[in-house]
Amino acid sequence: MIPERAKAFLLPVAVLVLLEIWARAIHLQSDSLAPPSAVAIALVEAFKDGSVLTATRDTLISAFAGLAIGGAVGLAFGIALGIFRIFDRLMEVTIESIRPIPSIALLPIALIALGFGYRMEIVIVAFACVWPILILSRAAIGGIEPRLIEVSRALRLSPADRVRKIIIPAALPRIFLAFRLAAGIALIVAVTVEIAINPIGLGAAIMTAQQALRPDLMLAYLLWIGVIGYLLNTGLVVAQRHLFGRAALVREAT
Amino acid sequence: MSRTAAASQRARFPDPERPQIAFTDVTLDLGGKTIIENISLDVKPGEFLCIIGASGCGKTTALRLAAGLYQPTSGTVTFDGKPMLMPRRDIAIVFQDYGKALLPWRTAAGNVSLALEASGMPSSLRAARIDELLKKVGLPSHAGKYPAEMSGGMQQRLQIARCLAQEPKALLMDEPFGALDAMTRQGLQDEVLSLVEASKATVIFVTHDLEEAIYLGDRVIGLLPHPGRIGIELRIDLPRPRDQLTTREDPEFLRLRRELFDFIKASEA
Amino acid sequence: MNRSVLIWRAASFLVAAGFVALWQMIANLRLVSPVFLPGPDRAWASLVRGFSGGDLWSKLLGTLEHMAYGWLVASIAGIALGAAIGSSRTMRSYVAPSLEFLRPLPVSAIIPVAIAMFGLTQGMALFVIAFGAIWPMLLATIHGFAAVEPRLYEVARSLHMSRLAVIFKIALPSASPDILSGMRLSLTVALILSVVCEILAGLDGLGHWILLSARSFRSADLFAGVILLGVIGYLTALAMSMVERRLLKWRPGDR
Repeated sequence: MIPERAKAFLLPVAVLVLLEIWARAIHLQSDSLAPPSAVAIALVEAFKDGSVLTATRDTLISAFAGLAIGGAVGLAFGIALGIFRIFDRLMEVTIESIRPIPSIALLPIALIALGFGYRMEIVIVAFACVWPILILSRAAIGGIEPRLIEVSRALRLSPADRVRKIIIPAALPRIFLAFRLAAGIALIVAVTVEIAINPIGLGAAIMTAQQALRPDLMLAYLLWIGVIGYLLNTGLVVAQRHLFGRAALVREAT
Repeated sequence: MSRTAAASQRARFPDPERPQIAFTDVTLDLGGKTIIENISLDVKPGEFLCIIGASGCGKTTALRLAAGLYQPTSGTVTFDGKPMLMPRRDIAIVFQDYGKALLPWRTAAGNVSLALEASGMPSSLRAARIDELLKKVGLPSHAGKYPAEMSGGMQQRLQIARCLAQEPKALLMDEPFGALDAMTRQGLQDEVLSLVEASKATVIFVTHDLEEAIYLGDRVIGLLPHPGRIGIELRIDLPRPRDQLTTREDPEFLRLRRELFDFIKASEA
Repeated sequence: MNRSVLIWRAASFLVAAGFVALWQMIANLRLVSPVFLPGPDRAWASLVRGFSGGDLWSKLLGTLEHMAYGWLVASIAGIALGAAIGSSRTMRSYVAPSLEFLRPLPVSAIIPVAIAMFGLTQGMALFVIAFGAIWPMLLATIHGFAAVEPRLYEVARSLHMSRLAVIFKIALPSASPDILSGMRLSLTVALILSVVCEILAGLDGLGHWILLSARSFRSADLFAGVILLGVIGYLTALAMSMVERRLLKWRPGDR
């Protein structure tokens, strides 16, 4: 019987091997496909001349800066909406009207206002990150066990203390989860903006490779973007487990 | 017994002396452990057999073997003389977790209909049969309700209605009232007795409630745990129809209860 | 709907109207240059103009078409594949880990590959949108089919239900909440990728409209386009909610 772990790798390895054999057999000459070995070589070369690291740094700077700004705004509003029900009900129409606007629709506005570069990308990423964090942190506050609120009242905690000692710690696991999801969104939006128009980062690198008719380099960047996405997500899952234990992960699954 | 009644009895049970369900030296190993070992028992057609035992004694396993959901590691399980290699359409299983055994996206009528659809009944005839079955289990006005809108007792009755739609020759019930409160349980016990009386089905009823086993059964078998083996077998000679008050006060009932209680105590030691 | 809900809803509208008034004030006072921030009056005028005589209708339809075709292809393929993979434990153990690895991949990264294969064409857009929209559908469907209550399969065995009956009467309805939430996500992805492809390839649609408006500094037209995109987002989400509510009315209503 094949062990579970090995099964996970069987399919991708088999696919890669078959692709390699096929590409070599037909002497592949194409603008869009390249044999896996060529892709690997192109990736290594791009690492050596530093272009991958530069592009990765640019994308991650934009993504994290946008996440930080959007996260801060979303968190502040989300907590406020969660604590003050009246505020929540009054803001409902406004939030539900702005939320459905796809972040990418802001691209032209940001472009003419800020020009190419980090700032326009950060603004768009921030806008995209505000909503999931706002919604989820509001829900996190709302989902706090009512019994805990009663306890805080029985102990006669001041409002500031109540927020600090009870509300924030109780909501923290779900808030962290919100940031984890938003981090994924931040990366996606950053890469998308770069592919659409912005000449920096991994998105721009992969578009340049395509325009230069270098499918091996293009696919190398595609692979690398996937690796970054995977590492980011896995890193955050590990951090979540480390900080909050299994309980938080179980609740997420339900 | 009149001649027609005797004739219909014979047609229903071709050979009333031959066992309908038979376990012959059945052993079942699962996950490296022996769950039950060398169990042999016969259930006569129309008999109401109760199986009791401490937790982990394999009574649910024995029921699932009779249902054809498990295959024995050694020995044979037969129904009407034929080996049970897979579940049969005319053997109905009533599960304890009724919530999981009902389709939550179908109404009560829809759930009963599932069994009728599976047996190929044409749609024009189904509505009448569904009404009849729901009436039989006491849910006549609940046809349009979803399981989530029904209480535990009602859901279990709905499952029984679906099982009756299979026109079962045998009814296998796995602690069906375990998740219900005492009053609901007693009401359902009497309902099951009258339903079984009317349909003449053979019943294997698994329970951890000793009094329930004596109240319902013609025979009670107690299993010893680790591995599951038959430890005790009692004939229940209490008069039928049973009554919640008088039967439970009958000195024979109390004697049987004492005997089973001592058995369970000894088996847990 | 009871009275207090209506009152709060009305108050909420008033607050939103207040924000619009604030926006108008900022625009009138020219606190931000009208090149970047048109007042709501000018944005509205542009909407009216665009629909009564201008191109806005065809642009709107263009985007909707891109979304619709891509989403439909993705739904059919996603549900079919998801059902096949989700209902077989062996398939799942071989395929699911690779899918988990691919899940955090930004789907827009497939765009250059698509351009290399199809050029800057409608075909490229259809490929990208379908590819992007298939992931939420596929993953949700796999999860839904994998999570079917095993007890129901035992009931099906007991009733001797045919394989087809099990799929359509048990597995599919059981997976429908997951499938519907996957569809909802897919719609969002389809909208975003439609806009991106229109911007990149100059295809007919709202994405192209807003890019052109930005380049010619026609801020009112630009805002009109952005508002329309928000309206599409809102209406598709609303439509999905209504469909969900009808199809899932049997749920115990925990959410």
